[in-house]
Amino acid sequence: MKRSDVVVALLFMALGAALVVAASGFPPGVGPLPGPGFFPGVIGAVMLLLAAGLQVSALRSGTVPVFEIGNRRQLAVAAGLLLVYLLVWDQAPFAIRTLVFLIAFLRMLGERWRSSIAVSVVLTGAVVIAFQYGLRVGLG
Amino acid sequence: MGCGWGSVDNMSPDILAGLMAVFQWEVLLFLAAGVALGAVFGALPGLTAAMGVAVLTPLTFWVSAEKGMAMLLGIYCGAIPAGGIPAILMNIPGTPASIASTWDGYPLSREGRAGLALGINALLSMIGQLASVLFLAFAAFPIAAFGLRFGPAEYFGLALFGISLMAGVSGGNVLKGMLAGIVGLALATVGLDPMTAYPRFHFGQSEFLEGISFIPVMIGLFGLGEVLDQMSGSQAGLGQMPQKLGRILPNLSEWKRMILPATMGAGVGTFVGAIPAAGGDIASVIAWEQSRRMSRKKEEYSKGSVEGLAASCTACNSAIGGAMTTMLTLGIPGDAPSAVLIGALLIHGVQPGPLLFRDHRTLVYTIIFLMMLAAVAIAAVNMLGARPLAKALQIPQRWLWAGILLMGIVGSFALNNSVTDVWVMSAAGVGGFLFRKASIPLGPLVLGLILGPMMESNLRRALILSRGDWMPILSKPIVLFFVVVTVASLGWPVWKAVSRTGRK
Repeated sequence: MKRSDVVVALLFMALGAALVVAASGFPPGVGPLPGPGFFPGVIGAVMLLLAAGLQVSALRSGTVPVFEIGNRRQLAVAAGLLLVYLLVWDQAPFAIRTLVFLIAFLRMLGERWRSSIAVSVVLTGAVVIAFQYGLRVGLG
Repeated sequence: MGCGWGSVDNMSPDILAGLMAVFQWEVLLFLAAGVALGAVFGALPGLTAAMGVAVLTPLTFWVSAEKGMAMLLGIYCGAIPAGGIPAILMNIPGTPASIASTWDGYPLSREGRAGLALGINALLSMIGQLASVLFLAFAAFPIAAFGLRFGPAEYFGLALFGISLMAGVSGGNVLKGMLAGIVGLALATVGLDPMTAYPRFHFGQSEFLEGISFIPVMIGLFGLGEVLDQMSGSQAGLGQMPQKLGRILPNLSEWKRMILPATMGAGVGTFVGAIPAAGGDIASVIAWEQSRRMSRKKEEYSKGSVEGLAASCTACNSAIGGAMTTMLTLGIPGDAPSAVLIGALLIHGVQPGPLLFRDHRTLVYTIIFLMMLAAVAIAAVNMLGARPLAKALQIPQRWLWAGILLMGIVGSFALNNSVTDVWVMSAAGVGGFLFRKASIPLGPLVLGLILGPMMESNLRRALILSRGDWMPILSKPIVLFFVVVTVASLGWPVWKAVSRTGRK
């Protein structure tokens, strides 16, 4: 049994079913013409069928590969940093929040303090010069 | 609409205008910057042409379509040949397209003929690109002229056919590939219904009423997703860089040996590149294997064959012209970078497809001339700058990750000055990472995302014209052809799987 494929198939079956249910709530078409729910409904149904096929294939399979995700802690911290960065988007100026985010990101990856600060300053400065001053994008 | 070229004396005003648009110093500057950036993206393993084009597309929002295309085509045409440099010197393909270049390039390098391998990579890449651009120049106009006959029903058939190719580009797992494509189609339904303007799947966010922005999704899938994937895996050890390069230019006998594999590589590459979502990686592997089968010196392959290297280098670069032909004429991306280029063209108000050849003929010629110039420019960069580019490999990967992440964030935001786009990019990045881990190919997802709106709106327009009756649609010859090919291409893998099970 391919455990990872079983999980993937279940997720896609749930998504397909959700699409079918949501599409059935859309208004019907005029006469014989399909309405706004037609295309998403067909997509949901096809997704459900394909996911069921993947499920059967995964259950019949003899091998047992699972997701192999290394450095999970680093990935979780990186995702957390990105989440915080997005949540404080309007709370702090771009240069400051980006500098802090990049230093934290590089430190988390094991970079030394000095090089983390240097790389973050160079990258942030380059983006501010290119986008804020060069292209007049209001980065906030 | 004819071929559109004619003789030099009666060269059409569009061709002259295209030439003049290219030979403006600002356009040339953007092209040079693009080629240089492409060389860096190609030479650094982990950074790909698609990532380069996706992450740097936002930089072109504020310039004309010609300058924007100059930079993006420079990146695209520059990254693929430069990917051969680490493949030859360190046995690590700089981009997926140069995977087959490691098989003979690195052994040549170990034999002390690194210079020759780099020279073959530079020159044959240029020849491959120029050959495929010539194909684009001469085949695109007739294809587009044929495409102009298409009505909504034919466009629906074309989109259906494009989507059926998801099975062929699924990397061995047809079901997963098709599921990825369906996810792309589902994402394409977000926003206002194309016929009734009924809001679908917008989750209360007014930003989603116009649909999910294509560029942030691409930046997320190919930028953030790739960074997360590399963070989760062990970093590949680099091969030993050779101290001496030796002779760079191939001699006459080597040229003679390379003519046939290079010609075959150019043909295979252009053809494979033209198939939606199949790119240089597949082309180079097929061409290398075909070249090995045809060769009288099969035993030299994988041990430093100049023929093998010539076939793989030409094929992976010819795929660029093939992919651009499909993208420009039919609006269907030939590979991931050309998919991003569709988004870039749309931002500049240019819709790829047959109408492009009627309404923006000058831009088409500009693109063709830009690709020719880029092919020559990157050959020069690769001949002269192979060693400095290889030295760039010593930049710590962590710094590159930080740079890609920051460019992804800022690039997504700059599209509409919207934080929602940054959230979309982040979600696409996480999704792209999970898809990679679950061995689900990203190509079909991109294909579905692009073809979804084309398929739905044209099907429903065709149904309005036929008053809801399917028969007039399905009985049109072109539609019938696409439906038959679609059924065959989707049914064939299933038939093979069933017959294999039966034999067991």
